[in-house]
Amino acid sequence: MPGLNPENREPALRVRGLTKRYDDGTMALDALDLDVPSGEFFGLLGPNGAGKTTLISAVTNLIRITAGEVLVFGRPATSLEARRLVGVAEQDPNLDRFLTVREALVYHGGYFGLTKERSLERAEAMIDVFDLRAKADVRAPKLSGGQRRRLQLARALLHEPRLVILDEPTAGVDIELRRELWRYIRRLQREGTTIVLTTHYLEEAEALCEDIALIAGGRIVARSTPAGLKRQFDAKTLEEVYLRAVAGLRMREGAPS
Amino acid sequence: MSAHRDDASPDPWRSTYWLCARECLRVSKLWTQTMLAPVISSILFILVFGLSLGGRIREVAGFPYDEFIVPGLIAMAMAQAAYSNNSSSIFQARSDRYINDVLAAPMRSWQMNLGMAIGGAYRGLLIGLALLALAAALTGVPIAHPLLLAIAVLLLVVLFGALGIVVGIYAETFDHHTFINNIVILPLTFVGGVFYSVDILPSPWQELSHANPLFYIVNSVRYGFLGTSDVSVGLTFAVSAAMAIAVAAWSQYLFSTGHRLKP
Repeated sequence: MPGLNPENREPALRVRGLTKRYDDGTMALDALDLDVPSGEFFGLLGPNGAGKTTLISAVTNLIRITAGEVLVFGRPATSLEARRLVGVAEQDPNLDRFLTVREALVYHGGYFGLTKERSLERAEAMIDVFDLRAKADVRAPKLSGGQRRRLQLARALLHEPRLVILDEPTAGVDIELRRELWRYIRRLQREGTTIVLTTHYLEEAEALCEDIALIAGGRIVARSTPAGLKRQFDAKTLEEVYLRAVAGLRMREGAPS
Repeated sequence: MSAHRDDASPDPWRSTYWLCARECLRVSKLWTQTMLAPVISSILFILVFGLSLGGRIREVAGFPYDEFIVPGLIAMAMAQAAYSNNSSSIFQARSDRYINDVLAAPMRSWQMNLGMAIGGAYRGLLIGLALLALAAALTGVPIAHPLLLAIAVLLLVVLFGALGIVVGIYAETFDHHTFINNIVILPLTFVGGVFYSVDILPSPWQELSHANPLFYIVNSVRYGFLGTSDVSVGLTFAVSAAMAIAVAAWSQYLFSTGHRLKP
């Protein structure tokens, strides 16, 4: 039917019974269920080791899941169609050491199916957005930490994904770039892109996210709007929510808080 | 204006092309290591062994010694290039985790495997062509069966390129991939008849040479150049093809299952 795009009817992300047990026996995700509606700015918060990065890796085809199902806009996350729709900036920079900034972007566009012309065009645009013009012909190992982070973000957005996953994108990033980044990401979201954000900056999550899930022990332990979470945990700030949710879980598990 | 692309279906061939291009670009950027050094060392072998010893060893299998060793030396250089290129490329990609950009991309597993393997084939073929041009000028080595030579070279780059992928995926340190090259590939190639015909070896060394898988690759290439082989042509090509298919299947298994590539 004209005007009805199936990608907008389906949730951007649907996860059912997702379980991941690593080879060493660690249960990173424990039958996790999650829906992220299309077009939402979604926050995923939790302590280190809670399962955030494993969940992101399952969505982006970077781990072998033990059980469950992951759908991206209604398509299995492992399908070529789903992979084209996702862009991820991982927590730690993982840049190709042999490529310059411009090459890294152009080749990424190629891997994700852009034509050469479109990839070049997008690379130049991203170089400007992330203020990398002076370093466009420099290889990744010669970039500073902040510049690598910017390149990582530029690469995640280059192929115009419908679902953008940002895993701790502003860790180690100066305040100026952080503001620029959020301005740009908010614009993308207004244009219809779904954003999934993990961050340890809770004030950032509160300001940006419409919907937040708290993850601990490989499960979603709470989910609501920032205001809804505060009501649920009788807290004034998201930081209090976070601390109470994590402390509550530890008490249930019998561990010292 | 939408922030997204309009094209609905991914084009995995375009993705594969870019991955192949990336692997070839890496070879070109590192040309002194990837091209110049192996060509110089192989030419030195031809000069030192062929032209100096060639005066003392008149003929082997009916060919002047300097001509006789050229096919084996070219095969050895191409094998090492295809192996080293792919094992180091994929090991670095795993170590720095930029392989995630490939694993997340809309490509089928066999297309990822092909893309990662192509650099070794590209490097091996460039080295082979450079050595052929130089060796032809120095020794006048003929090409008796061009089509069979092309098949032998194809089998060689598939076998050693795939072996490089497998070792690069299993390697936990950079030393592991050099270990396989120095302790397995290089010695087996040397005793696989690069510098001599195994027919001159006494028993049991002659029989043992037939158990060396690289003996068949060297003889496939030699047959393509000189039209002579220590064993039947059918057997040497059949063993070479069987090895190439087996190792390529192993490499594909690793990409299909994600074993050691994805936790």
